Amino acid sequence: MFLIMRYFAKLLKALASEASPGQIAGGIILGMIIGLTPFFSLHNLLIVVLILVLKVNIGMALFSFAVFSGVAYLADPIFHSFGIWLLELESMQQTWTNMYNSEWWALTKFYNTVVIGSFVTALILCIPAFPLLKYGVVQYRKHIHAKVQKWKVVQAFKSTKFYSIYQTVSRVRG
Amino acid sequence: MRIGGLITVLVLAGIIFAAAFFITDEWVESNIEYQASVLNEAKVELDGFEFSLLNLQMKWDRLQVANRNSTMENIFETGETEFSMEFWPLILGNKVIVQNVRLTGFELATERETDGYFEMPEIEEDEEPGFLYSVVKQVSGEAQKNAEVRFTDIRDDMNVDSLMAQINLQSVDKIDSLRNGIQQNYSKWDSTFNNTPIEKEIATAQNTIESIKVDEIKDPKKAVEAIENIRKLRAQVDSMKTKADSLRNNFQQDYGSSRYDLGQVDNWIEDDFQRALNVAQIPDLDVQNIGKALFGQNLLGDYAVYLEYVAIAREYGSRLIGDDEDLEEIPRYEGLDYEFSDKYDWPGFWFKNIELSGRTKSELGISGVVTNISSNQEKTGEPVLFELGAEDENQVSLSLNGEFNYLEESPRESFNFNYAGFTLSEARLSGSDLLPYELESGKGELNLNLDIVDRRIESRIDYLATGISFDFEAAGEPKNRVESLIRNAIGSTDNVDVTALVDNIEGPLRVRVRSNVDDLFMNALRQTISQEVENAKRKIEAEVEKQVDGKKEQLAEFKQEKEAEIQARYDELQAKVDEQLARIEEKREELEEKKKELEDELKNRVRDRIGIDFK
Repeated sequence: MFLIMRYFAKLLKALASEASPGQIAGGIILGMIIGLTPFFSLHNLLIVVLILVLKVNIGMALFSFAVFSGVAYLADPIFHSFGIWLLELESMQQTWTNMYNSEWWALTKFYNTVVIGSFVTALILCIPAFPLLKYGVVQYRKHIHAKVQKWKVVQAFKSTKFYSIYQTVSRVRG
Repeated sequence: MRIGGLITVLVLAGIIFAAAFFITDEWVESNIEYQASVLNEAKVELDGFEFSLLNLQMKWDRLQVANRNSTMENIFETGETEFSMEFWPLILGNKVIVQNVRLTGFELATERETDGYFEMPEIEEDEEPGFLYSVVKQVSGEAQKNAEVRFTDIRDDMNVDSLMAQINLQSVDKIDSLRNGIQQNYSKWDSTFNNTPIEKEIATAQNTIESIKVDEIKDPKKAVEAIENIRKLRAQVDSMKTKADSLRNNFQQDYGSSRYDLGQVDNWIEDDFQRALNVAQIPDLDVQNIGKALFGQNLLGDYAVYLEYVAIAREYGSRLIGDDEDLEEIPRYEGLDYEFSDKYDWPGFWFKNIELSGRTKSELGISGVVTNISSNQEKTGEPVLFELGAEDENQVSLSLNGEFNYLEESPRESFNFNYAGFTLSEARLSGSDLLPYELESGKGELNLNLDIVDRRIESRIDYLATGISFDFEAAGEPKNRVESLIRNAIGSTDNVDVTALVDNIEGPLRVRVRSNVDDLFMNALRQTISQEVENAKRKIEAEVEKQVDGKKEQLAEFKQEKEAEIQARYDELQAKVDEQLARIEEKREELEEKKKELEDELKNRVRDRIGIDFK
């Protein structure tokens, strides 16, 4: 329980930290792609590398991955149907065939209904999600963060011994 | 750019690569051994196994495939073997596609140092042992039977009592069992007739008929009602008659079924007689059988061994075919794979070309090529083909060419095996006591052609021994007249040509063995032991008959008696039904008459009253 609370505290802290809204939105976006699509896919390896290499917020990526994995579980039949529609699109047949016949593209498993359906869905969601998230972070910092800090739950948590130890450790680690 | 992240990625990649490099050998080896052992139902072991991730190369120093029927023996083993798997099939589809295999030290039927028993995981057993295994069993049985026939031991003073003590005559028990079966069947039908509702229904019908008093009917309407009732009753009794008929038919069908057929008794007695002949090792002196008796054991024994390899190939082929079936259900979150071309339509495994070398049991160096061993021939479009050969400095040659074709609906295996030029010096041509002599010289040639399509088998084995001379001296003086006549007959023969035919083209499996020396042996036997053989047969036949004497007749009498009893029960029932039918008919006529009488009376009264005649 403490770990979960600590994690949330970290997330809230990240929202108000010096990390740029772009980094936080980037973390959420990349975590969302991994969460929505089947985990053991080649493109996810690339996303993981991007999370590690780019200066996106890793905590937010993990949080987003956990949330969107649950969403994906529910949306699986929709992804499957969307995947069928995409893979049967007349105008795309030549592209799909070329990709399928290329071993490197075949490694991505884009010929699978759920992989392509969820991946394209995730990409489409990225377009509005990224600016919206950035805007959301800014708005949070400006209007909501101070209020959240006054919540009794947050106050209670901050008064625990664990939190003070955590703060000390965080300061030491920089 | 996060430098720490980049370093983390590189370190992780390094760790994964190093782990894969160091632990794959053992992991891959144990997996291959386990999966292959499950398939083989006995241990498959690899020694000196190496797997290189860099070029997907696999290598082993020794492979042993244990024989599940004799676990201290290998079906085959190989020495150093090396091949590389194709990258993309392995990565994309977990399929093992191999262009070339170099396989050395191939040997069939080698001894094992350890037990090859493998504890099988619980899986569904195949319900059928397989057609080819049943043929192997039959042919092995023929070979064994021929090995037991003794020609030179036939004696006129055979002790039939001691012989019969060795044979458990089964006819008597089977006759008793049949008698019990008939008794139980009788009881069943007796009870059926006792409990049939027809008797009660007859009684009810009888009461109904008697309750109709024709004399007391005064009104034509009542007469019409009574006629209607009698018509309904007639329908009921007709239905009783149908029931009784069906009861009789069922009884006759049941009693007459093959289970209670007395004709079986003769077959049982004949079986006992044949068993007694086998135990007494009395030969069947027929020119059709002499070749089988002389050469059957050797030729058919070898044939059964070769056929067993084909049976194994077919069994493994059929087991593997099911592996590549696509799943019909779409597992949640796994989706459906679309195939835009057949580029990745690979079988589970496919060894395209195997260059094989090794040694036969007779230390003949063998080499050749086996192509297209796969888990699914429909996907490769290629049958398994093998072409192996050997020849040594003494012109001893061996060749094995053939095909295992599972591309069509009916599996087909065909091959030709030829082994020629081997020396027959100090060899024996036959396991029979008629030809116990070693050869001083000679060369042999064995040719086997086998063609199996599904359950249809056609095969021919030719054995040719040329330039032979028998070493009679080593065998000493002839012990009896048979031996002496046989030596005279075959002494001048310098070649023996034997042909064995095993097929089921015209129905059940036929095994025939003929040779160019059959007539020579038959003549010698007819001049000597034929009388003894006939006497021994007669004695055994008489003894078997004595033991079952009268049993068959008693059984027939018993069956007839029981059948007659049930038949009488039926006849009685039938008579009662017929009687009721007659009475109904009689009553109906009476009622019709009464009705007419009453109607006439009514008409007369009307005429008298109003003067109108309705006639």
